[in-house]
Formats: sequence, structure tokens, C-alpha cells
Amino acid sequence: MLTPKQNMLEVIRGGNPDRFVNQYEAVYLMFHPFMFASPLLQPGQENIKNAWGVTNTFPKGVPGAFPVHTPDKIVVQDIENWRDYVHAPSLKFTQDQWDMVKAQYDAVDGDQAFKAAFVAPGLFEQTHHLCEITNALMYYITDEDEMHDLIKYLTEWELELAEGICSNLHPDALFHHDDWGGLDSTFMSPAMFDEFLLEPYKEIYGYYHGHGVELVIHHSDSYAATLVPSMIEMGIDVWQGCMATNNIPELIRKYGGKISFMGGIENRAVDFEGWTDENCESVVRRICKECGNKYFIPCIAQGGPGSVYPGVYMSLANAIDKLNEEQYGIKAEESTRLPWQVLF
Amino acid sequence: MSKITEVAELVEKGKAKLVGAAVQAALDDGCDPMQILNEGMIDTMSVVGEKFKNGEIFVPEMLVAARAMKKGVEVLKPHLATGSTGAQGKVIIATVAGDLHDIGKNLVAMMIESAGFEVLDLGVDVAAEKVIEAYRTNPDTKIICLSALLTTTMPALKDTVAALNAADFRSSVKVMVGGAPITQSFADEIGADGYSEDAASAAMLAKKLAAV
Repeated sequence: MLTPKQNMLEVIRGGNPDRFVNQYEAVYLMFHPFMFASPLLQPGQENIKNAWGVTNTFPKGVPGAFPVHTPDKIVVQDIENWRDYVHAPSLKFTQDQWDMVKAQYDAVDGDQAFKAAFVAPGLFEQTHHLCEITNALMYYITDEDEMHDLIKYLTEWELELAEGICSNLHPDALFHHDDWGGLDSTFMSPAMFDEFLLEPYKEIYGYYHGHGVELVIHHSDSYAATLVPSMIEMGIDVWQGCMATNNIPELIRKYGGKISFMGGIENRAVDFEGWTDENCESVVRRICKECGNKYFIPCIAQGGPGSVYPGVYMSLANAIDKLNEEQYGIKAEESTRLPWQVLF
Repeated sequence: MSKITEVAELVEKGKAKLVGAAVQAALDDGCDPMQILNEGMIDTMSVVGEKFKNGEIFVPEMLVAARAMKKGVEVLKPHLATGSTGAQGKVIIATVAGDLHDIGKNLVAMMIESAGFEVLDLGVDVAAEKVIEAYRTNPDTKIICLSALLTTTMPALKDTVAALNAADFRSSVKVMVGGAPITQSFADEIGADGYSEDAASAAMLAKKLAAV
């Protein structure tokens, strides 16, 4: 039997996987010192400024923190003079700070799972965190030069972060967030997306690929089927969060071998008040039947292991294990996978 | 090209800085202000909404068009009879308690406003009591629009609609709901009057409900 990591590589390479990859079982999300330098909100905390000056609130009972954009709390008050408002936080950390995180990396068995550096938010998200989303989306048309400059500034910061991560932590995967759409549409046209985000991401993901990172996993729990050619060009190996609205079987037919799709299980289909094991299993069976186990990893769409309602993530995991036993004769207890990481 | 067509083109292209002058030129040319509003702006925004719905344009293009229309209306307003710009009626809109997502709600607000409604936007994370209070302060409201983007805030949407359904004014106002996890069947189940899956459809539905 393949290890979870070997199985994931077989899935991505279109080789001979011996079962379905079970969600995040082969991707262990790892931290870096900057995550401790900017406040991580706990549920119930309100109006906390992060290192970029963005105010966030984490209402109880929702999946995560969210920027607060009342007029007084928008960081960029004047896009033409964004440099007066946006001040990138320092990425100078002591060796002790890096070593503390490195110890966490070393504690993970790299034969079983990829050690994936977790980076969020991405470039597009950061622009709307700083400017407010309606403003930001308009600026992409009305203030193109300023947005190019702002994205360049954010890219340089991300590259500095990438350098620190790669030289100190040596991850073999990257798990990078940037939501590029809603349920059934991208936020911007593919042409606008390419104009603003393609080259910066080629640079960032190129850096990681050139410095020991085997897999770039990009999270966008959205529709983004029309952006897949750009994702491939950027160097994304796995698109995590790929919603069923993207017609995943068609994406696999068109792009399998160049990119893989991790998702298909939208939170709205399984993760709600009154959720049941039966429903989770039925959604898992349907998506696995539709997509098969090449270039596809069944996974909850959200950007990290866990679910909004406790128990849903593990219910999905149990359903995939059950399917693996039925379909491939592989029992979960025989797997060498690491203990489940549940972060949310 | 007629002056009104020029206004329409500038609105569609989202040229906020130019549309005011074009509206003024149309007025100077003797165009009927109501015709400028209806043909140059409201009809244009319907076209914009349709293009968005069909995937021909995206959120940024729709936002700048709505903003351009707003700029044009500022120039036009003194020439219109009071209430003309919100002639379709008043709409209250909010994202429900616990939910901080605002882009979908903002798009719906803009498209509804562009369709000729006056919009009172209560913002995000709005408690049911606040929605009810807003209606009591604005009893001429025709429609209340509520948004929820998370499965976890669907119960808050349900509770808000339930509170509205229990209110003594419920028969005088229509309730529309939307947001990524919301479906027509959920809208029916919680007792809303309407559901739409995107901002353009919401504007069309609002017109239909307001006409009932």
C-alpha cells in the first residue's frame, strides 16, 4: 500500500494511485513566524488590527475572521496615495523564532505527508482587505497603475516571506490562499486577472518551485474554471477549494496532467445546521464517482482541514475511508497516515 | 449619436468622470430629464445586469457602471420631479447578524438602485430587530432584501425572516433573500417572498414584487 504522500503524487501525476486521497491526509499545514507576529483572532474577538493595519472581527459560529470595512477602518483612504497608508510589516525574525517553527516541521513525518507552508491572504485578497472589496474591484478599472504598483509592493513582500520560509524551513509544499471568485463566477474577467495577477504569481510560485517546493497548492473555494489555464501558467500544481460548480469532471478531462483538483465537496452541501453522516457519505460517493481518483482529491472546499460544524470533516473522512475499502479493498487502519490534523 | 445614447454608453463603460458632463449636454440639448434617466441610465443598467448574468462582464465592470450612473443622477436630480429617481419605491437591504460579507449585498443594492428604487442599506451583521426598526421608521418600504453568505448564518436569515413574518406590517412588505448557500427551496421554507441567484435577477425580481 502506498503512503498517503506517495498516493497523492500518483494521483497528481496520473500514475497508479491505490485509493482516493482522503482530503488533507497528505498535506500537513505548517506555520511560519509571521503568523505569530500578526494577531490570530479567536472566535468572538472584535475589531482587532493585524500587522497590515486591517481591522478584523471573528463573530462566533462562523468559519473565520473577516475584515471590518466601516469607512473609518478602511486602510487605503486614497488609492492615488496608497503608499501613505500601506506599510508592509517587518519580516525580520530572529533565528530562535525560525528554529521554533522548524522544530514543528521536523516533528512531522515527511514520508507520510507534505509539509506545506501556509500563506494567507494572497495578493488579490490583500488588495481588498486594504481597500475594501467594492473599492478594490473598482480600482482595478479606474486606477490601474496604482493597483499594479500596490500588487508589486505586495509581491515583493511575499517574495521576502518566501525567501525566509524556504531558507529556514525547507517545506516541500506551499498552501497558499487567494479567493478569486464566488459560487458561480470569478470576481474579474480572465483578461483582467491575467493583466494584474498572472506575472506576480508566476514570480512567487516560481520562487517556491525553484527553492525546494515540489507542490504549490492554491486555495480558492470558488468558481474559477475559466482561470485554470492561468493557474497552470503560474505554476499551481493543485487547486484546492475547487467547487462542484466548476464541472470538475470536465476540468479533469481538459487539464488533467497539468493541474489537479482538490475539493468538490462544498461546505454548503455538507456543513450546515442539522448535518448528517448520511448526507456527507452521499455527497462523497457522488463526487468520487463523477471524478475518479486521477487528478482529483475529494476534499471539503474550505481552505484548511476542518469544518464549520464540528464533526463534518471527520464524517467526510470516514465516508472516503469506507469508499476506499469498498472500491479498492484498502482498510483505513492499515494506512500509515499521520494523526488527522483538524485546524478549524 | 444622440446625447442620450452618449450618456448610455458612458454609463455602460463606467466613465464616472465624463458622465456628468454628458448628462448636462443632453439637458442643454433639450432632452427630457425623465428620458435621460430611463433610457440613458435605468435601461442601460438593465443591459449591464443582463451582460453580468450572461458572464459577458464581471463585478468590476458592473460596479463602475453603477457608480457612473450615480454620478449622472447627481447632475440630473435637480431637473427631476421629487422622488423620480426612486420612483419604483423604497428597499431596505442588509446582510444578516453574524455575517460580515458585503460584496453580494452591495451589488444587489447597486443594481436595485439602478433599476429605479431608493435603497436604504443597513450594512452587514444586522440584527433582526434593527431591520424591523428600519421598516417602522420607513413604513413606505416596498421590499426588504436580506443576504447570508455562510451556512452558519442561514439560521440568522431564517430567524430574521421569521421575525418579519411575525410583524404586524408583514402583509405590506415583500421579503427577498439571497446569498451563496441560499436556494429557492430554502427561501420557500423560511417564508420569504422571493429569491434570486444574482444581482441582476434581484433587480428584475424587485421590480416584479414591487408591482404586485
